[in-house]
Amino acid sequence: MGSIVPYVAIVDDEEPVRKALKRLLRASGLDAESYASGQAFLEAAALREPDCVLLDLHMPRMSGLQVLRALQAARRALPIVVITAHDAPETREQCLAAGASAFLRKPLEEHELLDTITAALGARTR
Amino acid sequence: MDSHPASSAGASPGLTHPGWRFGPATTWAAPALLVAVGYYFAARVGFAFTLQPYPISTLWPPNALLLAALLLAPTRAWWWLLASVLPAHLLVELQSGVPVAMVLGWYASNCSEALIGAGLARAFVAWPLRLDSLRSAGIFLFCGALVGPVVSSFLDAALVSLVGFGERGYWDLVATRIFSNTLAALTVAPLILTLASIEIPRLRAARTARYAEAAALFVGLAVTCLMVFNLPQFDNHTEPALFYAPLPFLVWGALRFGPAGTASAIAVLVVATIFGTVNGLGPFAGSTPQETVREMQLFLTAVAVPMLLLAVVLDERARVELDAREQRLQLTHLSRVAMLGELSGGIAHELNQPLTAILSNAQAALHLIGNKSAHPDILMEILRDIIAADQRAGEVIRRLRTLFKRGETQFQPLDANELVDEVLGIVHGDLVTRSVEVVPELAAALPKVHGDRVELEQVMLNLVVNACDAMAGVPSEQRRLAVRTRAVDADAGAVQISFSDCGQGFTTEQYARLFEPFYTTKPRGLGLGLSISRAIIRNHHGRLWGSSVPGKGASFHIVLPALAANGR
Repeated sequence: MGSIVPYVAIVDDEEPVRKALKRLLRASGLDAESYASGQAFLEAAALREPDCVLLDLHMPRMSGLQVLRALQAARRALPIVVITAHDAPETREQCLAAGASAFLRKPLEEHELLDTITAALGARTR
Repeated sequence: MDSHPASSAGASPGLTHPGWRFGPATTWAAPALLVAVGYYFAARVGFAFTLQPYPISTLWPPNALLLAALLLAPTRAWWWLLASVLPAHLLVELQSGVPVAMVLGWYASNCSEALIGAGLARAFVAWPLRLDSLRSAGIFLFCGALVGPVVSSFLDAALVSLVGFGERGYWDLVATRIFSNTLAALTVAPLILTLASIEIPRLRAARTARYAEAAALFVGLAVTCLMVFNLPQFDNHTEPALFYAPLPFLVWGALRFGPAGTASAIAVLVVATIFGTVNGLGPFAGSTPQETVREMQLFLTAVAVPMLLLAVVLDERARVELDAREQRLQLTHLSRVAMLGELSGGIAHELNQPLTAILSNAQAALHLIGNKSAHPDILMEILRDIIAADQRAGEVIRRLRTLFKRGETQFQPLDANELVDEVLGIVHGDLVTRSVEVVPELAAALPKVHGDRVELEQVMLNLVVNACDAMAGVPSEQRRLAVRTRAVDADAGAVQISFSDCGQGFTTEQYARLFEPFYTTKPRGLGLGLSISRAIIRNHHGRLWGSSVPGKGASFHIVLPALAANGR
């Protein structure tokens, strides 16, 4: 783990969602930062590696799946929780195959979200 | 003798709508009484329309009235109706000093006429007979106005000869009765049949202008008939053109007021013409009184038959068109709902995003309050964000509700750019999940177009969905949909809306079939989207067409006429 307070990166193209998730994670005692696109996240992650990533699947230009594949190609094993507002069962398998740790559907239940993040962080520290 | 063919029956037009409904006990009593009273007065009219001083009947309405009553009543009520007119028949005939045997004979022949006409008609048309199709009108004319009067006239004349009443010959009696009863069947029965099928609430809902038009029609017709058929002819050179003077009014009735209006107009013409003729007025002047009456009857019959048929055909066609319109509306709606079904994934996305923001914000606020670290400014900001997200979700629902609704087409001035924005809002979720980037190029200050918002949005949605489908095989980072609006100066002003994708496009052979119903290149498509879209745009007096560079993409263009500056 990079710091005492775990740092979670939120990647979502929708500003209201980004803002709300950042608020929730920070209020829950985590360090959170948000990014509006896959590219912005990858650039920032090169400087400061997050302990966990909340990654939206459907984003313009670079989708969540493409971000996963970019990380996979760079051999960077980050705990990534994919979040999506879309109900497509086949994408879950694709994401898990591309290295995602978990897959959650929006709207996100607080306990489920925090438990999943905790589990992902635990897996990383092991 | 009055040589009126015998008669019986009852009137009571407009009593009920489709046909009389006879209940078990005494519910038939009122209609039967009405028929009897109607029969009595119809017979009085028949007597009044006798050419004076000769005993030649020109019109014998009681039988036609009984015929109409039988056609409106269920078969099991027929005997009650026939029985109910016997007292009326006796009352009216015995007053004229005719022998009882003859009076009873005429009762039999009158009833037989109505029974033959109605019985034969019922063999072809289910109860109740309505003059609402060429077939039923043809059956009515054949059975009620031809077979009934003709067959019963032989019986009637035979009975007269048997009783030895009067001095006229058998064939003379037959011919006289046929003409006067056929004319009555053409005048009285359609009037009762059509008036009985009028829906009172629709009549009440009619606008004043409609009543004014009806008044103008009937006053005009009455005045024309009075001038043509009720003025003395000073010489025997009748102007043949005069006979055509009432025709425009009858055509007016057929075009604007249907079979009921036409039947009423024919009744006015018949009454006015006979009234003039029996009083020695008007243009009908044969060498004998019989000839005069025959000429008039032939003229009225020749006018009534085609006019009735014209009205029925026009009415039937209008109804078919209305049904077709209703079906088009239904199909358009079904296709729209099916398309929204296809978009359900994207719609779920559009609702889940604001719901996520609302939920996470509210949970964050709870944490902040629980931690006692909630600054009022932060809480206010969170609440404002919750409200904004809620409004966004509400907007998604509002748009959907409009599109799901099924309603009449409502034309109004519309801004094409606004429509495009609305449509892109509806498909936003779908565009995001399919990684399609929209490149809008919307011209500023477009003239408004005149159209139905929902239908035009349906066309645009269809084009956007098609474009997205066409780009499924394109790498996601390259999927672009260009949406352009522009003013077109040609054709006195028009607005063009174009959707261009970068999919595979289509070949000339594919394009030739693209707008055909049930033609589709999609594995699960119905193939109705483009054909319905083109029908909608045509209904808006616009054009919808496609263009493509195969392998590079396709464009679809809508051109809609712009509203004139005066907003017309």
